[in-house]
Amino acid sequence: MNPAPNSWRTPTAILIAGCVILTLSMGVRHTAGLFLQPMTVDHGWSRETFSFAIALQNLVWGLASPFAGALADRYGAGRTVAAAAVLYAIGLGLMAYADAPLAFDLSAGVLIGLGLSGTTFAVIMGVIGRHTTPEKRSLALGIASAGGSFGQFAVLPVGQMMITAYGWQSALLLLACGVGLIAPLANALADGHRPSAGAGQSVGQALREAGGQRSFHYLFWGYFVCGFQTAFIMLHLPAFLVDAGLSANVGMTAVALIGLFNILGSFLFGWGGGCYSKKNLLVLIYAARAVAILVFMLIPLSTASAWLFAAAMGILWLGTVPLTNGLVAQIFGLRYMSMLTGVVFLGHQLGSFLGAWLGGRIFDETGSYSLAWGIAIGLSVLAALCSAPIDERPLARAGGAA
Amino acid sequence: MKPHWRWFLGGLAAALAIVVLALLFAAYQMPELLIDWANLNYCS
Repeated sequence: MNPAPNSWRTPTAILIAGCVILTLSMGVRHTAGLFLQPMTVDHGWSRETFSFAIALQNLVWGLASPFAGALADRYGAGRTVAAAAVLYAIGLGLMAYADAPLAFDLSAGVLIGLGLSGTTFAVIMGVIGRHTTPEKRSLALGIASAGGSFGQFAVLPVGQMMITAYGWQSALLLLACGVGLIAPLANALADGHRPSAGAGQSVGQALREAGGQRSFHYLFWGYFVCGFQTAFIMLHLPAFLVDAGLSANVGMTAVALIGLFNILGSFLFGWGGGCYSKKNLLVLIYAARAVAILVFMLIPLSTASAWLFAAAMGILWLGTVPLTNGLVAQIFGLRYMSMLTGVVFLGHQLGSFLGAWLGGRIFDETGSYSLAWGIAIGLSVLAALCSAPIDERPLARAGGAA
Repeated sequence: MKPHWRWFLGGLAAALAIVVLALLFAAYQMPELLIDWANLNYCS
């Protein structure tokens, strides 16, 4: 668990490197939407062409996460993160010069999706989890989640400033340089972890074992709901507010409040997971989301209610990340943590895809978001009910494989 | 490191963090970002 004596890769150094990597990776990814208007106008593409590539990116990110996790578990997190950072930077660079939809799908969709799978939660949380004691693990995962949350909050206005100052093509190349910084940072994560080289579980056995546990399925579907709600709210809340007669400024401030309070919430729930039952905190998050959405729907809509709702959702936004990843480590051990958290994250991305798409579809069909909000409340209740029976005890294994 | 220096540097870091977060929050009010926010409705 701990680095070799005299190694500079102390748990603190690994945590700081992990936070910076998540800040860059999650932050740059969050700017994608800013390029829609300038790129579609310059290339004469439809908005569907652009949004299909970003939807593809989200799916590739989710589908590749278990494989990226398995690679990190097999060959080490340092190499996996460095390789993924190179793919991510190449994807951004090619995105700047893609002048046909297929080239755009391959760069913005496939390459960046693959890059994200190796530079975000599944791989980073695995290596941080291995280098912290069980008592401090949840807090460390919470700090890392807060790093990713800070990236989402901070890089969006920076990306917009770059586009305004230098144009979208140069902005993409600058962001590629920023993502390129992840590759040398990955050196800090090269901890020499080689679980497959020793005796014990194989990858297949670990997957079969996890698939046979109800708790793993509960975590997967809970994360699915988390992805559904966050994607739906982030995409459709501003439009919902503007449709209701509030100004675009109110919607933008709501988004900023979600980002700001998300940093606090990620840290708080990570810290809480070290002191209290993680599954009970997950129940609390999902139940509180249901209550927050219900109250938001029932009270008269105003600027104050929109901002209060955004702050409440921000607190509850990515608090699920340290708790869900912490539970995977707690129940299944650290040996294949990256791969198993990658599988659970696939559920999150499937939920994100559905939340983003279904919100728009429901609005187009019914002319209102009411049904989508109702589904978000119902799913939240189901996620709370799913989280309650999670068995937090570590799995008992013959031979005591960790 | 002496405890009073630890407290001083911790407080300084916290103050800097608050200033950075406040500046970023203010940056969200940029007119360019408001206009381009419509983009995020499609592909955040």
